Amino acid sequence: MERKFSALLRALHENGVEFILVGGLAGVLNGAPINTFDVDIVHARTPENVARLQRVLESLDAVFRIQPDRRLRPDASHLKGPGHLNLLTSQGPLDLLGTIGSGQSYQDLLPHSADVNIGGGIRIRVLDLETLVALKEELGGDKDRAMLSILRQTLNETRNKEVR
Amino acid sequence: MAAPNPAPLPDYSDDGVDLSLIRWMLSLTPAERLQFHEQHLNDILAIRELNGGA
Repeated sequence: MERKFSALLRALHENGVEFILVGGLAGVLNGAPINTFDVDIVHARTPENVARLQRVLESLDAVFRIQPDRRLRPDASHLKGPGHLNLLTSQGPLDLLGTIGSGQSYQDLLPHSADVNIGGGIRIRVLDLETLVALKEELGGDKDRAMLSILRQTLNETRNKEVR
Repeated sequence: MAAPNPAPLPDYSDDGVDLSLIRWMLSLTPAERLQFHEQHLNDILAIRELNGGA
């Protein structure tokens, strides 16, 4: 299945969904040369935003990834919760995270995100590199550790570039 | 007298990360980074598909 991350992000943006891009793709947009196969976002869990998000998920034909053949769709109660929903959409895998790290929500992360132009007149909120590194350090899984060295060095190079 | 040349930047970090690749990524705009990553990923998936999804 071809991944169209830009189309997925555009659909969220154009429908007014409040979200912050986190995870590997946030690392890529911050300049880290890493591979990632899905889009991870933390969304605002207000009733209005959950309704907007649900409409986008329907348009993207989103189903739970664990058993895609059963075509189980997330409902509003899933989207209002603090847990993680691993979905498969027509544009590739999408992970919806109610909270990350030690229970940090969209509102908590907003001050640690930047408004980033991803082309085509689309601007999205992306988690900053400092916070991304801190979260990966906190999680400490094998996958996170593998990515951590590259994220740390990207942060160093970004700071060096600013003073050069 | 000409200023001494600054020391060349190392290509790799002590833990083996390719710093030249990071510097190249940082020279791109976020939109270009997204476009490159998307193309790269789809190339990998296409190669995997050609090899029976292995």
